[in-house]
Amino acid sequence: MEVQRIKYERTGGFTGMRFHADFEPGELPEDQSRPLLDLLDKMDFDGLPEDSTGTATLPDQFTYTITVQTSQGERTMIMGDTSAPDEMQELLRMLDRIARRRQ
Amino acid sequence: MHRHNPLYCIIPPYMLKNIATHGTDLQQATAISSLKTSAQLRGQRNALTDFNAAAIRVIVGTKDRIVYTANNGSSLPGTVVRRENDPPSTDVAVNEAFDGSGATYDLYYNIYQRNSIDGNGMRLDSTVHYQKGYDNAFWDGQQMVYGDGDEDLPVDQRIFNRFTISIDVMGHELTHGVTQYTAKLAYSFQSGALNESMSDVFGSLVKQYSLNQTAGQADWIIGAGLLTSNVNGVGIRSMKAPGTAYDDPKLGKDPQPAHMKDYVNTVSDNGGVHINSGIPNHAFYITAVELGGFAWEKAGQIWYVTLKDKLTSSSNFQNCADQTYQAAADLYGSGSLEQQAVKKGWAEVGITVGGTTPPPPSDGCLGSLLRAVGAAPAKTG
Repeated sequence: MEVQRIKYERTGGFTGMRFHADFEPGELPEDQSRPLLDLLDKMDFDGLPEDSTGTATLPDQFTYTITVQTSQGERTMIMGDTSAPDEMQELLRMLDRIARRRQ
Repeated sequence: MHRHNPLYCIIPPYMLKNIATHGTDLQQATAISSLKTSAQLRGQRNALTDFNAAAIRVIVGTKDRIVYTANNGSSLPGTVVRRENDPPSTDVAVNEAFDGSGATYDLYYNIYQRNSIDGNGMRLDSTVHYQKGYDNAFWDGQQMVYGDGDEDLPVDQRIFNRFTISIDVMGHELTHGVTQYTAKLAYSFQSGALNESMSDVFGSLVKQYSLNQTAGQADWIIGAGLLTSNVNGVGIRSMKAPGTAYDDPKLGKDPQPAHMKDYVNTVSDNGGVHINSGIPNHAFYITAVELGGFAWEKAGQIWYVTLKDKLTSSSNFQNCADQTYQAAADLYGSGSLEQQAVKKGWAEVGITVGGTTPPPPSDGCLGSLLRAVGAAPAKTG
């Protein structure tokens, strides 16, 4: 599955500031794109829930929205800090670091 | 030095036991202390056996803190690094979390006679070094959690310092716990903005109390020191002048309004809870400055009683204005200077006490939809 585009958005948190990134993996330096693509290759997005924010919103937690666009279509997932599936944690950290560097 | 306790002298044990179970936090603590002293004097080892463990913890009126480290992972609470009677750590974040939760406990106990977050001596747990590059602090319903900011980026790219650097951040997070045990303000739209505002109000008061500052001396900045020198800003929010805390190419401009006419209608951030909190924040600031002196004494007391006894999960800004006005009357008398100061505070942000809510640039159709699916609180009044 070839990932064509990734959109990442982080809202909420103590600061309430929005951080976001919208990019094609090829735009990134090799040392950032390689581990990201390797990680994306291993993930099964179809097996993950679209919304895992849960029913109770906890104060000051981040809300993450990730959209992955491939040749087969687009999938968007929303999750909170502590409600994000374990499989997503590493990807969240990687995308967050990319977004903070590009902010 | 032995302190004379008048309760021990004049109140019979059966009454002390009743007070220890049903009194205010301070009354409970004093009554249990008296019972313990009495029991020791009479050799009654079982005098306290009919109280549960939680009540015994009230005795203390002293702090019970644990700081953990997540070691840059995401498992909570993590590994213990400092307990209540341990010496300071060599890790600055550990000591800041320890001292910040202690300062918050002191404000609530010494000024409002509230024994910890739950009012019943709850232990204050904090975890530092949560994840890597984590620009945040939060209350997870049971404990505080702090990230180290942008420590994983090169120094010249960092925006945030560690989140324990600012004492009001810790007061803010612990107050989310207090709200959880009192008004239970729903975390979306206006009730959510009130939830955030209460945390900013008492977070700022923790800082002012620890520095012994009057309302006129305080900076009223939330998160001073959190931003690095790479960005242009003095902090995350300003209660004195909402919308002016930062203005930077990377971060944009502080979006907080100071008046209802500028209310931000959005679904992002749970309906703008960190944005529209600028309105009640500023109302508190105006009230405190109008009253002068230490803000935690009168303005803080009025807001605390309102949070504890008068607000509900679905309260909105108008409800908060009306209830702080009523609390001021209850505490200081109808028509008192304190009540007038509260009225002025809300008037300056565009809310008339006893009036009707200015048609908030309300959340409109989208808010109605979210309420219909249970993602936002029902409207009141």
